[in-house]
Amino acid sequence: MSRVTSTDRVIRLLSIIPWIAAHDGPTVDEICERFDISRNRLLKDLEIIPFVGVYPRTPDALIELVTEDDRVWVRYTPVFERPLRIAPVPALTLVARGQSLLSVPGADTEGPLARGLEKLAATLDLAATDAVDVRLELVPEATLDQLRAAVGDHHQVEIDYYSYNRDRRSRRTVDPHRVYSEGGQWYVSGHCHQAGDIRLFRIDRIQELKVLESMFAQPADAGPNPVFEPRPEHGRVTLDLKPRAHWVVEQYPTESVESRPGEVLRATLAVSAQGWLERLLVRLGDDVQLVSADAGAGGPDIGRMAARRILARYGA
Amino acid sequence: MAKLERLLNLTATLLHTERPLTVEEIQHRVPGYPESWNSFRRTFERDKDELRAMDLPLLLERVPGTLPPKDGYRIRPRDYYLTDPGLEPDELAALHLAIQMVSFDQPQGDHDALWSLGGALESNADPVVPGLVSLTTPAQLSQLFGAVSDRRTVGFDYRGEPRSIDPYRIGYRRGNWYVTGHDHLRGEERQFRLDRIGGELDVGDPGSFTRPEALIAEHRRPWEFGDGEQVTARLSVDRDQAAWAAAHLGDDAVVERREDGGIVVELDVVNLDAFRTFVLGFLDHAEILEPEALRRDLIDWLEAVAR
Repeated sequence: MSRVTSTDRVIRLLSIIPWIAAHDGPTVDEICERFDISRNRLLKDLEIIPFVGVYPRTPDALIELVTEDDRVWVRYTPVFERPLRIAPVPALTLVARGQSLLSVPGADTEGPLARGLEKLAATLDLAATDAVDVRLELVPEATLDQLRAAVGDHHQVEIDYYSYNRDRRSRRTVDPHRVYSEGGQWYVSGHCHQAGDIRLFRIDRIQELKVLESMFAQPADAGPNPVFEPRPEHGRVTLDLKPRAHWVVEQYPTESVESRPGEVLRATLAVSAQGWLERLLVRLGDDVQLVSADAGAGGPDIGRMAARRILARYGA
Repeated sequence: MAKLERLLNLTATLLHTERPLTVEEIQHRVPGYPESWNSFRRTFERDKDELRAMDLPLLLERVPGTLPPKDGYRIRPRDYYLTDPGLEPDELAALHLAIQMVSFDQPQGDHDALWSLGGALESNADPVVPGLVSLTTPAQLSQLFGAVSDRRTVGFDYRGEPRSIDPYRIGYRRGNWYVTGHDHLRGEERQFRLDRIGGELDVGDPGSFTRPEALIAEHRRPWEFGDGEQVTARLSVDRDQAAWAAAHLGDDAVVERREDGGIVVELDVVNLDAFRTFVLGFLDHAEILEPEALRRDLIDWLEAVAR
């Protein structure tokens, strides 16, 4: 836990006081575990409690706290006899977390989590599913289960994988290190034997999965998730982006951005896969002008050629 | 230590009082404040900010019977105290698990939400996979959660156009957060992507609208939104992309499975631009079969790019 501020301590005590009051002498350790607080900190904070109360601060206007044999009682309290409400923002944030888990394929959508979220939202006079609707992308439950089991059992897997960025399909043998969802998508990261390096695979693009008998040694530290980092060997493209295409510089890592007349942004980006640049150019149409693209990025005609390839399908 | 004690006493005093207390009364009733008026005011202003930062429902109201009229502070018990949601132990444990397994890419203030419910003990029933799911966190997310809950109208700049909406619901699809609500400009229910909202939110007063009884339940896809007329499009998708397309569009959309592994899907299209963007994601691995107008639109678009 990071630095604990006095507001954190106030909020925590506003929960601890009524909880102790409602229970018959809980132990210090149990309070510590429930409220995620160290023993020292709790004992220090509890020392203050007998000095908390209301005007005119006569004995019957102060909290009466008793500590005995490592157990704690709140015998009397003029206020705080019930806990502070859960504020709307944390309550709905928690509902959002819970709903993302409910959308994991195979989750029990009528189990304790679903019930708990409904009850929590009801304290705000809302129905959880009405107010917040979080869904992760769907992946086949069997694929997800098999991959999670393979991570746990250290079994290698063979996948038939469609790389969207490269627009190419390939078979790979992978030592799966981790299965997780980020930004709504499901990924498996692991050592790819074809690439000879750690790679990230989107689970929805795995066309076929086979769990192999062969096992792998789990690395001591699976390392951070691989993310796209521009490298010198990647191609480079420079684009002029009209206002409707300005989101490109927010969404993708850029190497330089400069403002040009007419609300145009001139951005240079690294290109690790030409399929990515082709999609960007054919989708943006008039809103983008290709200024330059080196051979690694597919050359200056990459957008035109992609458009012609698609047109060929339409016999145009 | 002194500050902790003072903040607790201040909260207790404001919660216990039956009428708003003037600042003079607060100085007199709450122990631990400096006697000098100026330093008391400075300390009290800071404390007030802290109570608000803790989301304590602090009210500023006219004190009854004061002449000239004076304002005072209090916390109403009905605003402060928890309505016990009546969670069973397994439900509480499941919420605790959700906090551990789902992370946001910016810290969110719901870790202590469970404290009010009596905290949580470690559960051995379910395997904990820390960080199984992580969600993106646009800057406006917390404010919009608050606006949905308190029924506050919000104004913002959306793609260069000022909008004002009554937010009903926050959704998360394909890695993007959306807010759905009544759009005052268009006079109907609309969805807005949070990452396309520019600048600050202009948040209105609580209770500024009534939630409709029935919300449009289904999250719509980008091409299902807009002012245009709805047409049914048939799209063929090649073998290598077919499994993905079927998973994303739903098996209901698939109207034909071909021997070569390709599929044909039928989609209701209102927004032409959004549909074109979706189709072009397949590059040359998909083809609009019908209607002719959509084929023509795509061909014209691509011919402009090909020039």
